[in-house]
Amino acid sequence: MSDALISLFSEVLDVPAESLNDNTAPGNTPQWDSLAAMRLVAAIEETFAVRLSSREIMKMSSIGFARRTLLDKNVKLDDAG
Amino acid sequence: MTPADARNRWQKHRAEAGALPADIRIAVAGSMTAEPLEPYLGDYLLRRAFRNPRVSFGPFGQIPQICRDYKSFFTEDTDAIVLLWRLEDMFAAALEDPAALLEALDAFAAAVRDLRENFAGTVIVSIPPYPSTAAFDPSSLDQPAFGAALHARAVERWISRMQQISRIKLLDLGALERKLGTDAAQDPRKWFLYRQPWTEAFWHAAGRQLGRIVAAETRSAKKCIVLDADNTLWGGIIGEDGMEGIALGEDFPGSAYRAFQKHLLHLKNKGVLLAVASRNNEADFFEVLDTHDAMVLKRGDFAAFQVHWKAKVDSIRTIAKTLNIGTDAMVFIDDSAKELAEVQERLPEVVCLHAPGDAADLANLLVGSDLFDLAEVTEEDKKRTGMIIAETARRELQDTVSEEDFKASLGLEMTVFAAQKQHIARVAQLINKTNQFNLTTRRRRQDEVEKLAGDPRCRVIGMELKDKYGDYGLVGVAILEKKETTCVIDTLLMSCRALGRDAETAFIGVLAEQAAALGCKTIEGCYIPTAKNAVVKGFYQKHGMTFDAARDVWTMPSTATADLPAHIRVTRIFGDAP
Repeated sequence: MSDALISLFSEVLDVPAESLNDNTAPGNTPQWDSLAAMRLVAAIEETFAVRLSSREIMKMSSIGFARRTLLDKNVKLDDAG
Repeated sequence: MTPADARNRWQKHRAEAGALPADIRIAVAGSMTAEPLEPYLGDYLLRRAFRNPRVSFGPFGQIPQICRDYKSFFTEDTDAIVLLWRLEDMFAAALEDPAALLEALDAFAAAVRDLRENFAGTVIVSIPPYPSTAAFDPSSLDQPAFGAALHARAVERWISRMQQISRIKLLDLGALERKLGTDAAQDPRKWFLYRQPWTEAFWHAAGRQLGRIVAAETRSAKKCIVLDADNTLWGGIIGEDGMEGIALGEDFPGSAYRAFQKHLLHLKNKGVLLAVASRNNEADFFEVLDTHDAMVLKRGDFAAFQVHWKAKVDSIRTIAKTLNIGTDAMVFIDDSAKELAEVQERLPEVVCLHAPGDAADLANLLVGSDLFDLAEVTEEDKKRTGMIIAETARRELQDTVSEEDFKASLGLEMTVFAAQKQHIARVAQLINKTNQFNLTTRRRRQDEVEKLAGDPRCRVIGMELKDKYGDYGLVGVAILEKKETTCVIDTLLMSCRALGRDAETAFIGVLAEQAAALGCKTIEGCYIPTAKNAVVKGFYQKHGMTFDAARDVWTMPSTATADLPAHIRVTRIFGDAP
């Protein structure tokens, strides 16, 4: 699966897109440390022009969670990347 | 360029740099999480031609410990240490009590002094921004009397404490916040989630500003701005619009051209040379320069002019030659895309800037530019344009009269004096960079020179020279040491700028007098040859000294009144001199 969100995570975490999916999480991805988490939030907010609440940032514990959060905000993820 | 571009480029570099050794190592200690700085600082330094910058971080919230013992936190080869701190992070308990706060600042300043004394590299320390706590709420009615007043006092105390320590570079975090706007600079979510208060846009700006401070230490600044005249120094075309028609005055757009000229004047006063390359009739151009009331820049503010109908590439080359600088140290500003393209193609090393058609934009063209960043601006830098104009006038005279008449007509005035505190930086600069007219080429650090100047057995002597065309500045240095009845010339040097005036003959004469004043019977010196100082090989012999082959020194009797060249008027300033 390759879409705008996967390519964003791939770029920020410096991990090939093929090895990422909605189950990718800090627990199974050593590159996803606390500093990477900060960079991910910055990149998501800039790329999709959204503002995440601190609660949403705390909950973002996998790519799937990030996807649901963005879909809730009516961000379109499937037509890019 | 967006923050994301900078982050992506840095990440790409990190992936590609591999085992490349670091060529600059910066360690950051923050009172907040400072890691978001890394990509922006790193990317800026890459663009300033560092190959592989390394940015590392100490544990957050431990700045005083790091100051007292930096080696436990950072590697030995660190080039620069950055301390990023805020009042509310470090002094929360004392923040609302002025006396306690100032006391805490003094204690922190003492820790920074420790770091400065133990660490040889660059130390960069922040000026704390306006606190973002409830007591300092900018919209509160008691804010002017309480918050604004307290922050101003704290900042003033901090800056003065930092200035009392030598070689501390300051980074004004508050100014960076203001530039972006506090709301765009701060992000409260990130404070609660990550212990860091700022947005990516702020870190981007902070990374660039820190990078400028670091780069200024080793990257050379541009030395000269070559300016077009029409639609650059003023609006319109003098050859077509005439004196009355060009835009230059108190009303827009003339006011914007004046604002641009004021910025150029500011840069000139910091040592940047200004020159004109204009395709115009010479008479038209100089009529504006010399007689237009609204011109901010005067003839004496420019170091060189090329006003004719020849190509700008040739003008720029000629200016470089006249000023004795490389074209890679030049910036060219013109409103014509065609002229810029031609210069850029044939002289790619010249930085070419387009003068925007909207005069309001032109006024800000050089605001925030890093092209002219200097680690430190010296008195000599400030006088540079005047010295170059004087030297040009001297060269013109020299070409028309005999050598003797030339020297006699200059009206040379020399001042020889015991170096005081305000002279030490320039004296040390000459000791460390003079290669040719230098008898012993002994290099010394500034603190070593300062120590000798305070030693009663020594004399650190400076020599200043001027003539009717202008000031040469402090151009000669000698260090004398009294050894019983002998006065030893430890150091004797002169800047190339002062050669060919017989200044050296007057200088050695005054030194022989000083030897007598110190109670010495003889004065002696040695010549230590280097690859570059052959010019002074015969100096002592020429001045009547005899060679003592057994000790490899030149010697002569000291004298109460030396026989000095008639065309130089000499003033001596020594506390105990005759």
